[in-house]
Amino acid sequence: MGITIVFSGLVLLSFVIAQLHKGLDLYENPRKIKGWFSLKKKPVKKLDNSLEVKEMLLVLTEEQKEIAKQFALLVSTLEDHFSLPRLLELARISGVKNFHSNLNILLKSDILFPDKEGFFCWDQDLYIETISN
Amino acid sequence: MASISDVLKKSTIFNSLEEIDLQRIIPLFERRGLYTGDVLSTAGNTAQYFFILERGALLLAMEDGKSVVLATLGDFIAMELLSDRGRYKTTMTVLEDGMVFSIPRLSFLDIIQEDTPGAAAIMQAWQGYLDQTAPFAKNIADIDVPAIF
Repeated sequence: MGITIVFSGLVLLSFVIAQLHKGLDLYENPRKIKGWFSLKKKPVKKLDNSLEVKEMLLVLTEEQKEIAKQFALLVSTLEDHFSLPRLLELARISGVKNFHSNLNILLKSDILFPDKEGFFCWDQDLYIETISN
Repeated sequence: MASISDVLKKSTIFNSLEEIDLQRIIPLFERRGLYTGDVLSTAGNTAQYFFILERGALLLAMEDGKSVVLATLGDFIAMELLSDRGRYKTTMTVLEDGMVFSIPRLSFLDIIQEDTPGAAAIMQAWQGYLDQTAPFAKNIADIDVPAIF
């Protein structure tokens, strides 16, 4: 009986030690805990212009993040509900690279979204989350 | 690559048409490629065509800075969305490569002015489609006068 208890304790202790790194990883990256409770993401799909999109979340290259930042700066000069053709024109004038397709990516990601009145809005939280990844 | 028949059958505007009506309208459509940055229509120019989208993304820039982006198979770009008294009122720019089918504007207007169940079905579906995609573009005063487009 005693041997069984000691042996079971040792097995339990070894299991705890084996999983210790996961606990430390969660301590260092608490966002993973948040991820457990978020909606299940669709599989990553590759787009023509090499941007990778998850449901509601873009994964951008460094260059693409810079382009998104350029769009964010342009949007900051506009009203909360702004004209999308106006934004496209500003992007053209400002020399934003591939401004048609990059605007389309921001639309597909829902960072840019329609207000149903013919104008568009910018989701700052989604933008921050996207460029932080 | 979808055929015009497939696109029409998946379009909310045309999917309720009888086969005989579809067979009559199908020959009027012509396939056209979409290339990012291209302009398909310019506001102020003579309106020659309406369009149904197979794939790709289109920005429709309307009056007063308003716009809508269409990127779903079967989206129909016509009438209130595109023209007014024979002129384009919308500048349409391609945001993503794809494909559309174009139909001569006058041919389409002839069809929907006929006193047939097919014409009535198209117009009824069109009003529902406008409510979903661009309610701000609806022309309430002239809703029953397709010829004005």
